[in-house]
Amino acid sequence: MPNKKLAAVITVYRKYSHGQHIADRFLEGYGWNGAYHHPPFDLVGMYVDQVGADDLSKERAQRHTWLTLYPTIEGALTLGTGKLAVDGVIFVGEHGTYQKTEKGQVQYPRYQFFKQIVDVYQKSGRSVPLFNDKHLSWKWEWAKEMYDTAKAMNFGFMAGSSLPVTWRIPKFEMPLGSKIREAVCVCYGGVDSYDFHGLESIQCMVERRKGGETGVKWLQAYRGDAFWKAMADGVWSRDLMTAALCRSHTLTPAREGFNDMMPTMEEMKTLAKDPVAYTYEHNDGLRCTMMLMNGLVKDFNFAARLDNPSKIVSTQLYLPMPDGRTTLATFFSPLAWNMEKLFETGKSPYPIERTLLTTGLTAIGVDSLYAGGAKLETPHLEFGYQAQKESVFERT
Amino acid sequence: MLTTRREFLGTAAGAAISLKAMAAGRAPVRVAIVTTIYKYLSHGQHIGDRFLIGYPIDGEWHQPNVKVVSLYVDQKPEGDLSEARAKEFGFSVYPTIAEALCCGGKTLACDAVLIVGEHGEYASNDKGQKLYPRYEFFQQCVAVFKASKRVVPVYNDKHLSYSFEKASKMVRTAHAMGFPMLGGSSIPVTWRLPEVAIPLGASIEDAVMVGEGGSDAMDFHAMEGLQCMVERRRGGETGVKAVQMLVGDEVWKALDSGKISKALLSSALSRSDTPLGFSDLDGRTQDMVGDGVLPGLVKNPAAYMIEYRDGFRATMLMLDGAVKDFNFASTVRGVGNVSTQFLLTPIPNVTYSARLVQKIEEMFMTGKAPYPIERTLLTSGMLESCLDSKKQGSVRVETPALAVKYQVV
Repeated sequence: MPNKKLAAVITVYRKYSHGQHIADRFLEGYGWNGAYHHPPFDLVGMYVDQVGADDLSKERAQRHTWLTLYPTIEGALTLGTGKLAVDGVIFVGEHGTYQKTEKGQVQYPRYQFFKQIVDVYQKSGRSVPLFNDKHLSWKWEWAKEMYDTAKAMNFGFMAGSSLPVTWRIPKFEMPLGSKIREAVCVCYGGVDSYDFHGLESIQCMVERRKGGETGVKWLQAYRGDAFWKAMADGVWSRDLMTAALCRSHTLTPAREGFNDMMPTMEEMKTLAKDPVAYTYEHNDGLRCTMMLMNGLVKDFNFAARLDNPSKIVSTQLYLPMPDGRTTLATFFSPLAWNMEKLFETGKSPYPIERTLLTTGLTAIGVDSLYAGGAKLETPHLEFGYQAQKESVFERT
Repeated sequence: MLTTRREFLGTAAGAAISLKAMAAGRAPVRVAIVTTIYKYLSHGQHIGDRFLIGYPIDGEWHQPNVKVVSLYVDQKPEGDLSEARAKEFGFSVYPTIAEALCCGGKTLACDAVLIVGEHGEYASNDKGQKLYPRYEFFQQCVAVFKASKRVVPVYNDKHLSYSFEKASKMVRTAHAMGFPMLGGSSIPVTWRLPEVAIPLGASIEDAVMVGEGGSDAMDFHAMEGLQCMVERRRGGETGVKAVQMLVGDEVWKALDSGKISKALLSSALSRSDTPLGFSDLDGRTQDMVGDGVLPGLVKNPAAYMIEYRDGFRATMLMLDGAVKDFNFASTVRGVGNVSTQFLLTPIPNVTYSARLVQKIEEMFMTGKAPYPIERTLLTSGMLESCLDSKKQGSVRVETPALAVKYQVV
């Protein structure tokens, strides 16, 4: 049987853009499970929205002669035939130069490109599985429309970050049906960017709790002095924060001459100049906090308090960034592997509702910060779902 | 079914709890530190400091039930921290090893000795080995033990000595005098991606280890990475019969002729997070073996080929220019491919050294080495013999002295 055909819709294809990381794995292959793996798919059509001097798509199309670049999304999906001509679509609307909203959100055209993709599906009377990198849209209403459209048209829709599927150090899966009282992720990066990764790190764990996901009631963001006050007031548990920090490989030493030490709160204040936290409560009472602590850590560390028996669990969701630490963002390999499952079976290996929820949380986090740290009710996020039974993160 | 790393080491969480449980109601273990230098990011500092300020293990900041009572530093280069640490943590820096172990008195006044003979300015021999005075430090410790008629556990960082003869004497002395000894690299105890070990007693068909970073510093780490995997084979470790170290084009020829498995090299490299060349150029993933890019990237390849006494053969490759991490691949009968990356976490935290310190602390607390010192002894000898082979023009060198037998459990 010939390989299934794929199209890619990408904002920018330059070194270390998400488009490069993801599409390259389908073009060049990747290390998987102890061997060099070539996905059994042919990436044949590609649309790149912004082609600059650092573009790599032309080089890739030259070397991989089965790949054709098209000037439109419709062209990439129809291979110029006017009718959907591929079996799956890779959609990476991350990186590239786009305007920001007044709240600071980059207006990546995910909704607009999604509309163009489903337009081809509709005109062709046929839908194929679609992968959407990261959150669905910076705007909740658009994200919800994307979700509703995929449901109505009944195509496999997978989205989100690589955090839920990358290595965990140590290898830890939240047992299905766990009673979770509180969860935190201590990580780094920017608002409307890595906050989404932190939220997905938490959500891929807590969605496995007893009763499944029940949705989120409210969210409150803290920044700067408000963060330190919230921390002192015990808005989140210090022992969970410490447990998460003890999983970090990048804790900045607070004192000269020491290479690895646990900072006091006063020392943390000198290291993390502009910390951000999103604290939010689920409908079943679970309280979660995502912390961006630039200057303190450069990794993603999760901790949770479980009941019956009472214990703290913790792990690092491993993101070996090519920022000098590595040359390959190998966390895209388990994402590519799960995308292969989507294209093979037509079904996402994990629920799209996770990413719908984290998309909504990201947007509300930005709103709360914009409103000076107001506590915001989130009736639109009061939806539930069940996590998949299987573990889908990289373990072999 | 693969043995997971946790099963292999005993659950790490369990180990931390038992260290805590063992500490309850006990006086702190008095530790003397004997090191070449104590300077930021030297092994002496990052290992020694963990006994002073604690370290992260299993999601907790663990404070060992240890009191560092004395320090000897052989050299005090610019940036020396020994006096600052002594002042802050309430111990003394002594001018001799004997005085450090006796805390200025006449007899042994500590319960454990931490020897870190890595870093500092020392001469090199004609094999390119840096002549760290580990054997000499050890002998001075032993002299105190003898004079005091009392022995305590000794940890020796990295290989025991550049000389197998000296290393053997160290191990013989430890066994004869009846004190536990632990040595070696962090590589055997760091995280593995994935968390695998070769099932104990399995038949290993072939194994390839890939490292980088040059001879007589990083090749020891890679060699111990290889050894901690293959020592688990059927029959236990029997020692090494012969070694051969190839350099330059001979390495590529050995790969082309099948003397070294290309499939296993490819498998090991598939575990890497740091392929250079095209990945560095434009971020792309690449099959470095299949694409034939290695000879262009690696200017000075080296292959350390090991023939064990039971007939098993394995190869350690130092491929500076190809990758910047440490990866292993093997074929195990009935299991298939067992491959992993030994994770060396970023500088400055080097959190992998906390995993090593946990093992050192375990020996200090229990009086038993968590794994055999013979692993480090054999690895020290394999390394020296490989350098002998290289010096003699890459000839095969018989190694009757390396009949080091041991069994891991």
